[in-house]
Order: sequence, then structure tokens, then C-alpha cells
Amino acid sequence: MSVAAGGGGTSAIDPKQTLALGLVGGLVLLYLVPFVPILGPLFGALGAVCAIIWGADAIARVASYGLGTGVPSIGYMSLAIGIIGSLAGIAGAIIFGSGLNVLLGPIFGVVLAMIIGAIVALVGTKILKMKIPILVRCTVELSGAAAISVIGFSAAIAGSIGMPAILTTVVSTGFIGLLFILNTMAIQHPFNACLGPQEDRGRTLKLAASTAFMSMAIVGILGIGVSKVWWVIAIIGAIAWFISISAFIQSSAEDAASVKWSGWWPEEEM
Amino acid sequence: MDPLLLIGAVTVGGVLVGGGVHFLPVGGAPAAIATATGVGTGTAMLAAGSAMTGLITAAAATGSPLWLVLLAGAAGSALMIAITMLVGNWVYIWGVGTVPVSAKVTKDPITGLEQEKYVTPGTEGHGIPTVCYVSGVIGGLLGGIGGGLIYYFLYTGLVELPAYALLPGQTTSVSAAMMAGIFALAVFFVNSVIASYNIGGTIEGFHDPKFKRLPRGVLGCIVASIVIGVIGVLLLQGGAV
Repeated sequence: MSVAAGGGGTSAIDPKQTLALGLVGGLVLLYLVPFVPILGPLFGALGAVCAIIWGADAIARVASYGLGTGVPSIGYMSLAIGIIGSLAGIAGAIIFGSGLNVLLGPIFGVVLAMIIGAIVALVGTKILKMKIPILVRCTVELSGAAAISVIGFSAAIAGSIGMPAILTTVVSTGFIGLLFILNTMAIQHPFNACLGPQEDRGRTLKLAASTAFMSMAIVGILGIGVSKVWWVIAIIGAIAWFISISAFIQSSAEDAASVKWSGWWPEEEM
Repeated sequence: MDPLLLIGAVTVGGVLVGGGVHFLPVGGAPAAIATATGVGTGTAMLAAGSAMTGLITAAAATGSPLWLVLLAGAAGSALMIAITMLVGNWVYIWGVGTVPVSAKVTKDPITGLEQEKYVTPGTEGHGIPTVCYVSGVIGGLLGGIGGGLIYYFLYTGLVELPAYALLPGQTTSVSAAMMAGIFALAVFFVNSVIASYNIGGTIEGFHDPKFKRLPRGVLGCIVASIVIGVIGVLLLQGGAV
């Protein structure tokens, strides 16, 4: 149950900025993986971080209308769509011919995820008669963000954006199940934790950055034995997590200034 | 493998999952503070628990005939949801101190016990009464069969491909089992959330007036599952060069 069911509150962050960060930034960083020697997987993880911040903003926009099912449910659904889309995309890109399939895989996966997201959201608005005006747009954005985050972290573990490497190092090892829950938490937790009448999107996105970098540090550790740069991913993720969680705590303290300065009400009046 | 067979299996499986969710006693946030009947959490959490258990038991039966995989999936899902409801009831009865009672019916349709006078004023019932429990187990069985069906057909299709082929000495292709498992889990989540949108987040079971929305939810699940099935066929391309 969302208690922020006021709907369509104003946000300090322009949705176009997070869209650009997640879609353009995420995909560009993802496509650096096969072209940058040695440090390639690091860019995959950073692309996933961009996508998670985009997804967290999209979920904050749609869930502020009050879905009736809680914030986590749409997060799980979008990651489910993201996993179906990304795996089908990188496995199915072979239909474009053997020359281009590895390069076309991720973008094909993101497009497929967005198509499934659009259909599910249209089912919601047209068949189930849900009255949320931005449901279609936000579900499409969320599905795309989920797909990029899954492919980004998979590439960070496997060191490649091709299906054979991802199949043996991410899917067969079961890490794909972990990525499912890890990315869901990273995308849905920030708004689920910050929602309420005084939700500030800047503060929510600082928490989103911290959950994303924390996931990146864990993904770095998962790459032990597969990727040579696992420790770089883990250490950069941990340092960036520390910076972003400090920024989040700082802005939480600033937003709570009225309580901090005047103190709690006197004990006897409670 | 015939792609149409996989699309059909995903569609039927998705509908069974989406239909099954309508049977679960999903109480949501009000039930978490014992002011509504049902398990005090959302559909996504209940689906996560029962889907994962159902798929683990279904995967344990990999290599068996179809009916055994479906039975294993159904048993796992139903058992998980039954244990969740039982332990939830312990908390509601001995922890919160409320009587399991439904506010949607005056008499329990199964036991015939009086319900109305045990509902605390200002609440919509509490705990998981017999009718909700039976309904929840039916939902778990349906969901488990649906998940098992998707798992079985995708596994059978994938194991024929060179990238997923059985290695010498193996009886189960781990990569095909993982891929089929994660795909079935994802289909489970999508359909359970669609069903959850249809019931507006909470439902008590088949005796709830909201259960009449079942045809609309099933239609939504059919449309979404067909699209997912068509896209899932791409997995049969293998992707390994």
C-alpha cells in the first residue's frame, strides 16, 4: 500500500534527465564492454548503475499515484520483464546474422523488454481499467532500465555481452536469480523507503545511487574467478557507495532540520 | 521443438498462475496489522515464495514425465503457501490475539461456522479462516502447475540445442534448467502482478466478491502471456555461435 497516493507530485528532477542518463548513458557504457580492453567489465557495471538510477526515478513517478499493490510489486514485475527481454534479446539476436548478433543483442533485448512492458501496461489500463495516466510510459521506462541493469551486471561478471559467456558464467551458475532480486531491490527500495508527503526526488535518487553502487560492489565479488578486474569493480562500487550513502544521510539530516534544530517536543506532553 | 508448443505452454501456464493468484488470501498492508483477512503481505511476496519453491521442486523432477513435473511443481507451491498461511495464523492467533475470521461472508462456506460476530468492529476480519486456507491451497496448486508447465516445455526445447546439450555423464543440463527456471519465474511474477492489479491489491479467496473479476484478469494474463511466449521463442535460437 502506497501512502503517497496523492498522485503526480512535482519533482525537482526532470524525468528527461534520468531518461538520458539511463538509456543513453547506460547503453553507451554497456557498449564499451567489448571495445575497452581489460577494464571493459567495469563500464558494464557503471552502465547498470545508470539504469538503476533511471529505474528508481521511473518507479517513484508511477508509484506516487498509489498502485494499490505496493511499490515492490511493480519493481519485481519490471525486473521479470527485463530478464525475459534481455535473455531473449541476446539469445535471439542470432536471427540478424552471425556478423552483427553480439553487438545487436543488448539493444535488441532492451527493445524487447520495452515492448513487453508496454503490452503489460496496456493490459493494465485497457483491460483491467487502471486509472494511472503515466502507467504505460513509466512501465516502458522501468522495463528498459531493468533490462539494461541485468545486461550491465551480467557483462560485468562475464566480461562479454555475448550469449555464450553470459550463459556459462551468469545463467548456469544461478547468479541470474540473484541479479533478479538484487536489481529489484536496488530499483524499488529507494522510493519505497523515501515515499511520503515530504518526499524529495533528489534525496530519493541519492539513495538510488547508493543501492546501485552497493549492488555493483556485490557484482564485483560475484566475478571472482571469472573476471580479472572483479576487485576494481568491487572497490569502486564500495567507495562510490560510501560517498552516495553519506550524501543521502547528509540530505536526510538537512531535510529534518526543523526537528534537529528545535528538538523533540517535551517529554511530559507525550 | 515447435515454437507454437512453447507459446501455448507459456500462455496456459501464465493463465494458471494469474488465475491461481485470485484464490490466494492476499491481505496486504491492512492484514499486516491484523485489520483485514489474509496473509499480511502483497501478491509479489507470496508469488516469490510459492513460485520459487514450486520451481525448485519442479526442477528436482527434471527428466521425469510431464505429469510428474507438474505434480512436483504443484506440491511445492501449495506446500509453501500452506506453511505461510499456517505460520501466519499462529502469529494472528497467539501473537496478536485475534480469531481467524472472514468479513466478506456471514458463514464460512466450508465449515458453516458463524463469522460476523467475531469480526472486531472497525476491521475487515483477521487471520486466515478455513475457507481462505482452502482457497489459498487451491491457488498454490494452480500456480505450481502453471510454473511447472512453462519450465517443462522450455527445458525440453532448450536441451535439444547444442549450447545447452547434455555433457557426457550428465542426466540434467544445468544451463537449460537454470534458463527454463528463471524464465518460468519471470512469467510467474508478471502474471501474478497483473492479477494483483486486477484485484486491487487484496482478496480473501474464491468467496470474496472481487473473485467475480476473474475473467477480466484471465483475459489480461492471456494477452500478456502470448506476447511473452512469442518473445520467449527467441531463447530457442540459442545465441551461441
